[in-house]
Amino acid sequence: MPDASTTGGGAAAANGASSTPNGAAAVAVKPGRHRESTLYHALHGAGAGDGRSLQELREAALAVYEHSELPVWRRSGFWTTSFESLDLDALRVRHHEVGAGAIPQIVRDTMPERPRAGRIVQSDGSVVHVELDPELASRGVILCSLEDAAREHAELFAQWYSKRLTYGRHKLEAANAALWTGGAFLHVPAGLAIEEPFEIVYAIDGPGVAQYGRTLIVGERGCEFRVHEYDLAGDFAGQALHAGAFELYLQDGARCRLAQVQDWGSGQVFDASTRVVSVGRDAYCHWLPTLLGGHLVRQHLELAVTEPGGDMAFRGLFFTEGQELMDVFAVDLHETGPSGGDVHWRGAATGTSRASFEGLIQIDPGAQQTHTYLQIHSMMLSPKARVDAIPSVLVSADDVSASHGGTVGELDEDLIFYMQSRGLDRASAVRVIVEGFFEPLLSELRDEPLEELVRAKVTEKLASAREDIEAYATSR
Amino acid sequence: MADLEIRNLHVRIEEREILKGVDLTVDRGEVHALMGPNGSGKSTLANTLLGHPAYEVTEGSIKFKGEEIIEAEPHERAKAGLFLAFQYPVSIPGVSVANFLRMAINAKREEPIQVKEFRNELQHAIELLDVDRSFTSRHLNDGFSGGEKKRAEILQMAMLKPDVAILDETDSGLDIDALRTVAEGVQKLHSEQGLGALIITHYQRILHYIKPQFVHIMLDGRIALEGGVELVERLEREGYDEIRREYGAQPAAASAGGKGA
Repeated sequence: MPDASTTGGGAAAANGASSTPNGAAAVAVKPGRHRESTLYHALHGAGAGDGRSLQELREAALAVYEHSELPVWRRSGFWTTSFESLDLDALRVRHHEVGAGAIPQIVRDTMPERPRAGRIVQSDGSVVHVELDPELASRGVILCSLEDAAREHAELFAQWYSKRLTYGRHKLEAANAALWTGGAFLHVPAGLAIEEPFEIVYAIDGPGVAQYGRTLIVGERGCEFRVHEYDLAGDFAGQALHAGAFELYLQDGARCRLAQVQDWGSGQVFDASTRVVSVGRDAYCHWLPTLLGGHLVRQHLELAVTEPGGDMAFRGLFFTEGQELMDVFAVDLHETGPSGGDVHWRGAATGTSRASFEGLIQIDPGAQQTHTYLQIHSMMLSPKARVDAIPSVLVSADDVSASHGGTVGELDEDLIFYMQSRGLDRASAVRVIVEGFFEPLLSELRDEPLEELVRAKVTEKLASAREDIEAYATSR
Repeated sequence: MADLEIRNLHVRIEEREILKGVDLTVDRGEVHALMGPNGSGKSTLANTLLGHPAYEVTEGSIKFKGEEIIEAEPHERAKAGLFLAFQYPVSIPGVSVANFLRMAINAKREEPIQVKEFRNELQHAIELLDVDRSFTSRHLNDGFSGGEKKRAEILQMAMLKPDVAILDETDSGLDIDALRTVAEGVQKLHSEQGLGALIITHYQRILHYIKPQFVHIMLDGRIALEGGVELVERLEREGYDEIRREYGAQPAAASAGGKGA
């Protein structure tokens, strides 16, 4: 595979952003600021949760929602991600009764049967299933819908809700903040170490649905836990929307392994989500989203080290097919030092799909002794697929190291020939190459059922892209 | 009927003719050496026999066990019992030697190989090739030294048990110990399994460890001279230039230069 490696170190400021706000939130609420609000900026800092009540926050967000247009993200010279084809007015928030019968088929078919600490399932607009290991409940773990948390754990809720999430950047973010229903709340008390994962599921059970999912997770001092989020939809015809918001706060010394499997099926599912993870003093987060496509997916993923000694591994895998579009903005933010970061993403595309990735390392003034590295590797598996990857570095401290590298690959015919000469057919050889390409990340999931699920999904996608891959061979 | 029968083979790559009418037969149980200077077409022949898509056969035939295979896909040739030990084996990141071997073995079978049977065969092969057990859990050729890569090729050959193997400059870049191990491995597969081998080499030294019954000298895309092991000794004495003068081939550089063509 051709190896186009770039490394930019030190105090390079290669981002397209014109300026960086210092600590204050870069939230533009004025309707006319719409275009600026959809530039590739880190959220960076304080969110909307500033002491206002949930009701007040919802009302403020609703005002933005009503006065803004569907978002269009422009990365000048590279790509444009437009949600203008979404017929938002035609979608409804659909509710379901709680009960086993309300768990969508796609959830039953996809989720691995395995030991777990707890599980919460939201179908369309409603949480339809909550379970928590009674032993953990007795030790103070809380797992419930976010709606319930707002009522029953009002103090915790008020302390953390929207602490780093905003509502004013674009219409779909505002929609979530104003209109969210169901949601998930997980609180892990200090010092608890939990081996099995908490599973949080957002499923869209058919077309015509707008799902405003919202997750809030707090890990108290010294705790250790795993979270697996699943975002699932079956293969249906018609539009649906998931506008999600996710926030995770790790207190001093807390450790979390966070994984996400997102596969919106072959329907026209739009996804515009913002996820923020905040790593506190000496805390650690390993975050690995696996983004397996949807009609149009836009993810703002921000992993912020907010206290000295915080460390993180920010991994990610994406794989698009057919005519899917994906736009990922991954931010490795260091607000203070010493801190560590390690960002490693891998993406592949088949069909006429298009994946756009921007990885931003941002090191604030005063975040001395921060050491971070960003690498993005991509592979195009069909002649018309396209993956763009832009690494950016925005450094405002001098005693740091920050660099990036990456590769852009196509299918290597010599590698395929080698495997064919051992008896593997072309399709198998391609599967081996792609699995091998993703393997460094898959093995980092350190969770066999999850690894197997992602592997199976990759295989499934390759099987359906078989014609493309054959066309690739003859086009060369 | 020979196992591998090459008749009047003409091959070109990117509009340039490299092989200009090669005739060669290899049977199971036979060891052939194919020698020739750089650029004479040895590696082109090796790649063509396994069906590399960049090489275009313009004339002639390749029969394997009586079947014409020119139109066959590389994996079909492999399944039929042909094997190529590569001059420059590529690395497969993320795939361990053991997993790759299992896939390759299963590709040839109806039922997947039993875990125990696989383990036994692998154990046998790693002893034969004198490699460390941990070798098989490393990613195939990823970060391997030159010697390790060549051992991995012969390890695969031992596991896949082909009828006819083409060894494309397996000896190049090996130190004497690695060369001896690799050569002994090939020799053993030959005597134990009746492997037929076409050993392509630029040098004579591997032939001190494996005695070929037949020696073919390739010059400028043709077999210029054939004989027994005495040809190796003659080459050692006289070099290719003398043979070229005698058999009237044109200088190789004029028509078929370039890397390992």
